[in-house]
Amino acid sequence: MLSSEKRSLIRFLLIYLASTFLLFSFASWIFYSSAKHHLLDQQRETLKYEAEHIKSQLRALHRSNAEVLYYPKSKNIRSAIYDLDKAYIFGTFKTKQILDEHTGGNILYYIAKIEPYYLGAAYLLTAKEIDFKPIENLQKNILFFMFAAGIFFSILGYFLGRLFVAPMRDSIEQMNHFIQDTTHELNTPISTILTNIEMIETFGKHEENSSELKRIEIASKTLSRIYDDLTYLNLNHHYHRRVITLNISDLLKERIVYFSAMAEAKGLKVTIDITQDVILQMDKNDAVRLIDNIISNAIKYNKPKGILYIILTNDAFIVKDEGIGIRAKDLSTILQRFKRANKSEGGFGIGLDIVDQVVRNYGFDLQIKSQEGKGTEVMVKWEK
Amino acid sequence: MGKIVFILSFMSLCLFAEELSTQEQSVEQNCLNCHQQQQIPSSLIHRRYLMKYSTAKRMEKAIFAYLKHPDKARSIMPSAFFSKFPMKEATTVDDSTLRKYIQNYLETFDIKKKLVLEK
Repeated sequence: MLSSEKRSLIRFLLIYLASTFLLFSFASWIFYSSAKHHLLDQQRETLKYEAEHIKSQLRALHRSNAEVLYYPKSKNIRSAIYDLDKAYIFGTFKTKQILDEHTGGNILYYIAKIEPYYLGAAYLLTAKEIDFKPIENLQKNILFFMFAAGIFFSILGYFLGRLFVAPMRDSIEQMNHFIQDTTHELNTPISTILTNIEMIETFGKHEENSSELKRIEIASKTLSRIYDDLTYLNLNHHYHRRVITLNISDLLKERIVYFSAMAEAKGLKVTIDITQDVILQMDKNDAVRLIDNIISNAIKYNKPKGILYIILTNDAFIVKDEGIGIRAKDLSTILQRFKRANKSEGGFGIGLDIVDQVVRNYGFDLQIKSQEGKGTEVMVKWEK
Repeated sequence: MGKIVFILSFMSLCLFAEELSTQEQSVEQNCLNCHQQQQIPSSLIHRRYLMKYSTAKRMEKAIFAYLKHPDKARSIMPSAFFSKFPMKEATTVDDSTLRKYIQNYLETFDIKKKLVLEK
């Protein structure tokens, strides 16, 4: 799966699952509140029934002439009677409860009116401890439902997401195939052109048309570099790296010579400060791609007759230009493939993507500082 | 000092008890004896008041009003009762004493005293 495809899929899944979760949580909360209310109502019905029973016993007591009147008691139910002014008369509560207290903590209350006032009682308060077992079962069922729904919607979301990103995947694959085919077809003619230019230069038959030949050489080298970049991107996953002890200083000098014609054509003044014998453990092709892309960008986006600084130290490789610069808002996305902050120059937007890949492969640190209209500084630190 | 306090307390208690006892005797003489002769159980009357008025204050107010101006509307008994028994005459007892009598009557028949919890 492509990384952009994976990213889109993850984003889609996150939004989809978060919204589904919120919706289900809201629905479950409503259902839970309603079901809990219903369960408590069922338990309150028991209190109502008991209250009626106590009322009939109070009526019997009111008519009794016995010297001692036994207040009615019920199992698991507490009760108390209050007069018309809501003053406590008698009951099984240890403390005299406040009549207006309907619910509190784990106790369920029910107040029944008594008419006529047997034993002077106008109100009968009954109370019992709430049985939490059915409520706990309800909570468990809801959690189980949420969990099951979560799994179901995750699977559904994954397949839906794959379905949605499929067109994007197809487009990227088509583009990759196209690049692959194009690079393959470009290889032979570019090689032929470059070899022939080299032969003309070697056998000294070029004095008459030297400027035309220079332009052909620059164009061919640009084409050759694009070919190398595209091949590098295409083969990146299957490419077998040969990490060797590499003299970066020598390699950089070679690459500066390679780019000299391009820099010269643009009238750039190249300031070079290379520390001798900077040695790194690297694959040569990776190092070439890193150096070439940074230098070619600096030449391409530099202003005509500007200054190009190329610095190599034991700690870092720095290239500075005096070109158009990069807008601050584009700096965070400039490393993405096919991203081009400025379309004034040609290119595919793959240069910095390759630089980023090499930097990440070797654990280097890439820093890009830029001011729009003033220039850009790209620094690769060998150690993080 | 302690002895003086004890003696004073004892004397005031005796006086209070004596007063209560005198009041009870007066209620007995002025109210309950007559009810007994006419075979109208006082406890029954108390229960009827209790069933209608619920609190001691409300009962006191209703009994006072009836005793001062006896009529069918103020009576706790059903109107059929007065076909058998004559309407009693308005009391001549002064208000303060009457209130004390009523309070004593309510105290005597207070049903709360009879209520107990079954063990």
